[in-house]
Amino acid sequence: MRRKDIILNLLSEISSYILEEDPQRMVISLHQEESGLHLCVLDSNHHSDEEIEKMEKALNSQKRPELAGYYGAMTGHDLLGSSRLDLLGWQVKHADVSRTDSGIKIDLWLGGEEFESHRFSIPKE
Amino acid sequence: MTKQHLILRNLLSSIILLFIIIGIIHDGFSQAITQFVSIQLSPARLISDFISIAGIGGALINSALVGLVGLVIILKLDVKLSGPTFAAVFTLMGFGLFGKTVLNIIPIILGVYLSGKFVGKEFKEYIIIALFGTALGPIVSLIAFEIGLTGVLGVITGISLGIITGFFLPSLAVAMLHLHQGYNLYNMGLTCGFLGLFAASFVKISGHKFVGQMAWYSEKSTLLTLLIPVLSLFLIILGIIIDKKDSIKSFFKIQKIPGRLPSDFMDIESLAGTLINSGVIGIVGTLYTIIIGGDFNGPVIGGLLTIIGFSAFGTNLKNSWPVVFGVILCALLFKLDLNSPGPILAAIFVTTLGPLAGEFGWKVGILAGFTHLVMVMETGGWHGAINLYNNGFAGGLTATIFVAVIQWYKTNKTEFKDTFRSKMK
Repeated sequence: MRRKDIILNLLSEISSYILEEDPQRMVISLHQEESGLHLCVLDSNHHSDEEIEKMEKALNSQKRPELAGYYGAMTGHDLLGSSRLDLLGWQVKHADVSRTDSGIKIDLWLGGEEFESHRFSIPKE
Repeated sequence: MTKQHLILRNLLSSIILLFIIIGIIHDGFSQAITQFVSIQLSPARLISDFISIAGIGGALINSALVGLVGLVIILKLDVKLSGPTFAAVFTLMGFGLFGKTVLNIIPIILGVYLSGKFVGKEFKEYIIIALFGTALGPIVSLIAFEIGLTGVLGVITGISLGIITGFFLPSLAVAMLHLHQGYNLYNMGLTCGFLGLFAASFVKISGHKFVGQMAWYSEKSTLLTLLIPVLSLFLIILGIIIDKKDSIKSFFKIQKIPGRLPSDFMDIESLAGTLINSGVIGIVGTLYTIIIGGDFNGPVIGGLLTIIGFSAFGTNLKNSWPVVFGVILCALLFKLDLNSPGPILAAIFVTTLGPLAGEFGWKVGILAGFTHLVMVMETGGWHGAINLYNNGFAGGLTATIFVAVIQWYKTNKTEFKDTFRSKMK
């Protein structure tokens, strides 16, 4: 799948998840590099510790190529039922979920085999 | 290697080995092998009960070896043994009793492999499509043994067309998923039915007429009657042994999962709870067959094996009863015998629509089950019975129409309310 399509599907799935709670504010930031990309999503809703733990677990689920390659095609196409973070988890390399003053911040890191998120260079400016 | 992977590998290998041993003991080595060979040469279209065509021993050996092909590929590719792969091996073994042969599944798998190569995908990304795509195995057998091509030419043509068929499966499988959005567990049934329509049309235009065939074993056999309940009981006991403390609790938690694709119960809950769920579904399926006076033969045992497998990947008691009840209602209303081939297989395989009941409630489930039986009685003829997952095809069509209507209702109803509110202001 083309990079642009992957990003669009990821954006759709994660924003669908956030919008289920009807937040007042949602901010999405995307930064791309040659070997990977960083997607950051912020919202303004309250999330319990339990929910955050579940999100982190789903987003950092074991890699399942046999599921991601086939059922992963459903990512971002969910029109009925709730969005599912495990679909994202199978595709991202690493995910962090942290609290902000008003809501949560979800960091999603995607990349190839050599990609290491801690070396990712988000520009200062 | 994880503990779960190890347990499942040993469990599946043991079941495969047991089928071979039972097959040999039942009919003797040379007769069982002769039966196995005759199964490979069978046209294999629906409904070809290999027990009726060749015999119990050969059918069990074919079932075991078809399952073994799947298990070896899974292990070779180092794919995790979990819900979907557990379902795949059980489904392969199940249909190894009525339609899949070692000869007719390999070209399809090869075609999917080449398709992956063509777009630069690793084979493990398409492994589920490859294993379930073997539902179109009868294309290979049909071309090789039914349409008049003889000898090596027939076999080579059959294998080549099988490879070509497999090549198109991944592209279609993904498109079909979007149609029903994961509410039909047997997505490859819809995919293979869709592709089967085209394949059957090509065969028909070349002058071949599909003659309906039905091989259905209806003799009483203690071995065949006991096969599923004993296996189910073993799965339940194994589940309890694996986790004495929480397995039952986990089983009840599985009942609350809607089951929409992809729902790996082993991942979402636990291996122990999932094995109990599989065993319970197997026992309930057996009891249903006994109550309605159904035959324990290749297709019925194959169906029960399939739902045991999918009890790790979407099927549970809570989401299944409404759709099964819908099939029973439909059969009673239209005066169809519950123990005749169509209704009995529909009642088993309708669990493919369990996610509709799981997500939208029992009333939707009953309606879906009702519609499913109406559809499944017709769809087999559309693809010339070359798609073994005819219930998956009918289920996919049913799920698609239900999803479309529910989606239309949900989105438009909300829109109406919003418009109404804004006008009131």
